[in-house]
Amino acid sequence: MAGIPTRGMRGSDLRMTTVARAAAIAAQLQEECSILIEHYRKKENFPPDVSDGPLVSVPPPSSQLDTRDKLWRLHSALEQCHSLLERAIAKEEEELGGEEKGEYENRRKTVKERLLFLLNHTRELLRAADGSSIFTPSLDGSELDDPATLFQLKWWVYRIFMEVKYWSQTAIAVLQELQSDTAKTPSKLSKRSARR
Amino acid sequence: MRIGRIKMIMWCFLFLILFSLSEQDGQQTGVSQCGPQNLIVRSLDQMLLAEWKDNASCLTLNEPILYKMAVLIENKEVYSDEVSVTPGDIGSTHSWNWTSHMPLQCASHTFRLKSQINSQMSLLEQENTLRGETGSGLEKVFPQDAVLEVGSMATFCCIVPDGEQFDKMYLSGSTGRNMSTTQISEQRYTLTVQLEEVWDRCVDVLCETKEPTKRQYGSCVYVGYPPDVRDLQCETRDLESVECLWKEGRDTMVKVKSPTVYQLNESTCDSKSNRTCKKKFKVEGGKKNWTLTAWNKLGKVEIQDAADLTKRVHMLAPHELTVADVNARNASLTWRWRVQQYSNLDLTCQINITHTQRYMEHGVGLNATVLINLRPNWKYKVKVRCRTAQHFWKWGDWSQSVTFHTEGDVPDALDVWMKKEENQTVIVWKMPLDKQSHGDITEYEVTWATTGDLNQLNKTRVHPSVHRYTLCADTSGEHVVTVTARNKHGSSPPSNITIPVISPNKTSMNTSWITGSNGGFNLSWFGSPKASCGYIVDWVPAVGDGPVDWQKLRPSQTSIRITSISSENLVDGLRYSLSIYACTQTSPVLLEKKEGYISETRIQENLFNSLKFKWNGADVEISWDPVPLKQQSAFIRGYVLYCQDKSSHSIRVTSDNPEDTSLTAKNLKISSYTFTVVARTAVGECGNTSITAALNFQTDSFIKTFFISLGAVSILLLLITVLCYRHWSCIKQKVYPQIPKPDMTDWLTSSVTNVHPYLLKDSSHHAEEHMDIPQLLYKSGEPLNNNTHRKQMALISSQTPQGYQNLHLDTSNPNIPSLPVFSNPMYNLPMLGEDRTPTSELKLQVKNEYQPQSLAEIFRQNQTDQDPISFVSEYIMTRHNETT
Repeated sequence: MAGIPTRGMRGSDLRMTTVARAAAIAAQLQEECSILIEHYRKKENFPPDVSDGPLVSVPPPSSQLDTRDKLWRLHSALEQCHSLLERAIAKEEEELGGEEKGEYENRRKTVKERLLFLLNHTRELLRAADGSSIFTPSLDGSELDDPATLFQLKWWVYRIFMEVKYWSQTAIAVLQELQSDTAKTPSKLSKRSARR
Repeated sequence: MRIGRIKMIMWCFLFLILFSLSEQDGQQTGVSQCGPQNLIVRSLDQMLLAEWKDNASCLTLNEPILYKMAVLIENKEVYSDEVSVTPGDIGSTHSWNWTSHMPLQCASHTFRLKSQINSQMSLLEQENTLRGETGSGLEKVFPQDAVLEVGSMATFCCIVPDGEQFDKMYLSGSTGRNMSTTQISEQRYTLTVQLEEVWDRCVDVLCETKEPTKRQYGSCVYVGYPPDVRDLQCETRDLESVECLWKEGRDTMVKVKSPTVYQLNESTCDSKSNRTCKKKFKVEGGKKNWTLTAWNKLGKVEIQDAADLTKRVHMLAPHELTVADVNARNASLTWRWRVQQYSNLDLTCQINITHTQRYMEHGVGLNATVLINLRPNWKYKVKVRCRTAQHFWKWGDWSQSVTFHTEGDVPDALDVWMKKEENQTVIVWKMPLDKQSHGDITEYEVTWATTGDLNQLNKTRVHPSVHRYTLCADTSGEHVVTVTARNKHGSSPPSNITIPVISPNKTSMNTSWITGSNGGFNLSWFGSPKASCGYIVDWVPAVGDGPVDWQKLRPSQTSIRITSISSENLVDGLRYSLSIYACTQTSPVLLEKKEGYISETRIQENLFNSLKFKWNGADVEISWDPVPLKQQSAFIRGYVLYCQDKSSHSIRVTSDNPEDTSLTAKNLKISSYTFTVVARTAVGECGNTSITAALNFQTDSFIKTFFISLGAVSILLLLITVLCYRHWSCIKQKVYPQIPKPDMTDWLTSSVTNVHPYLLKDSSHHAEEHMDIPQLLYKSGEPLNNNTHRKQMALISSQTPQGYQNLHLDTSNPNIPSLPVFSNPMYNLPMLGEDRTPTSELKLQVKNEYQPQSLAEIFRQNQTDQDPISFVSEYIMTRHNETT
């Protein structure tokens, strides 16, 4: 289980294990998300790409961000993705009907659970870096514009799925970078957090 | 004054005339001051709603006002209408509606209203415009989220944003027919389509713009049906409310966007209740109408039911079901009612008890009953439901089940029968089932007595696990046997059977064959007048000590089907012996006896263990031991012998007698045969057993002849030998006359006789080479002597005047050891003169063919004439001794 220390493991080993696990989960999420999007796209006859802007609001990527900042940015985005996904599912069930649990509903549920699993891992990594509770952006209903029509709702859901896929890809990259960094300097994150 | 007054009147009159004229002129030109005011135009879906009032100038009119209205879409008149307002309605608010063929958001809809009084158009005119949507964000297609009916013609519109160019409009999927797109203004387009059924999801209406902006706008609409409800039935359950139930027909398919709303007699039903609606209602006698209204955005449906609810009581389940006073065979059952008013109803209740049939009870406010005819020591489950006795509507709900266990009791009477085993009788009884034992059986008691003296009872106890008892009684008389079972509650009623006399010289009854069908035996027999108390059919495996089973039948029953269901241990391929007895007041009487199989199965291979063959000339008899019954899994109806030679030529010999133990194949040829014996059964030929034998009766006689001949020749030779032996001297005289010894006295005495043979000396071959020695050679075809071993004794005696030696010339057989050659020292003696060589005499001997004899005479004076071998032997021995 993520976040549960393994007896006999050093801190750096544990972190390495968590990072590796998180990267594996991200890869799995990306694959499952791709399948979900493909399924949804065919179901709704949507084009493969969406030109609308992002739904997730995070600081822009920068070469000046260090690994920990990238991790925080990633975690923040994943938090928002999860929140959006939960809202999307609720809205879909409310507006479009979702009593019957078909293949789409099952895939959607899997993606949501996988995303939550990844989120727990990134939270764990941030805690390991900070040693304290982390700030995560809150996403209450007032900050989000719910789609006004059914058609908008469908597109909104599609965009959320795309967003989750994008951030799962980003997660893979960030976590791989973190993996290599941790391998080089195992206590880098800790030192940095101590400085702060 | 008067003139002034007159002038004034005239002026007034003139004024009035002028006024009236002016009014008439005004009316004549069609202009009126009366008209509409306060026009309000609203939209409701695709409907345009207009409301207005008459202005104040209309209030005095005594004539109707004709309102003329027109609807303009994008400034083009598409509809006009007229409404007449009667004088009585003048002053009130007037309304008018019109449904557009397109959503009102799609284009500007202008409502124009004029009035006309007596063909005089009012100067007042009112106009109001509902502006079409300009579209914001992605909302460019209208209507959004609409709920539309399957089959209807629907119009959707697309408002193309500035800077973009319309490409196409369509419905996703194949959900529309007769689609057509129309441009209604520069940037507005409509799509008209006949909607088709879509299952429970919204359909996208899509509007796409051309490159380079190329975007897709849309709306999602639900397509479905109005509610479909039917078969309304109203009833009461508690006599204080009405509960109506109905069935749903076709799905509306718009439940998500437009759930169906239900009302019962205009009172809204709980949306969570599925197909039922319950309302408080005081139930009284008399019929009442009940109306259910169901509607959604697509329509409204009403169904009705009329009922006197006092005759439609659907009772709730009894509760607190309790079983009390439980005995062995009865118990009391009570319950309570949640609805107090049930106590006043005449009720019929159904009591359902496991393992027994349901039964009914009646009574006003019924809440108790007695359960009877229960099995002792038995676990029961009971439940109850009720209904009104007079007006049956429906059975009420079942109560919860309660479980109880009855008390135990003495066992039921045993089912007793008998089995004859040789000269003994075994009393058998069926193990009581749980429903018969009424408690654990502790023992059985068997008592018996002769019919002549019933007072002299014999008694024994049998262990509860044993269900038979071998009667050790005198079989020459009838016995009455009684068996009882005992448990902790007491003994069962006695079961009696009269054992018939076992006659030592009884004649066995003929047994017929019976074939089973469909896994059982179908037995039927002619009724017997002896069967006063019915019949008993028993069956037992014909082989071994299998258990006997039986059934007792009524006197009227003369047939039975015995199956594995009615009896355990019925096995295919096992022969059963079935007997039919008549039940009499005394002992049972055997009526029929049968043997058969439930189902015949193939007999195993190699059935005939001891297959033997015996030939008699060209006939071969194959015999075997009788086949044991145990190995017969089918009736053997005969045998077949197959004789197959090497050329696969086959001869078949059959027998129809199952008792046969041999078969003979005749006129067989000389060959190797495989003899196969099979048993003929209903399931085919089986039990194949084979032996192979070579048949060669000519060789046999030849051998016989050969040995006879050999014996005869042997006897003949023996006779000849005996005769020869007896008459040897005579034969010798005739065939082998005595040859007179040659006279060599001088020669021998001077040279040979004084020389001891042991003095013979070996001489070398070199010496031989230099000596001219006459040789005595054996030639083929020239026997030296009949009694001589030719090969071993093929020695050459060579003599020279100065030496004498033996040469072994036979080189044909290397196995024969070369005999050493010795020189004769005698010839080296100095006193022997050269001129006294015996050359001429030796040559003579050779010619006369008496070599052995002459040699013996030369070297051994004691040697007999007939034994040259002994000479050689002795010669060797001599040499041996010398070397040692």
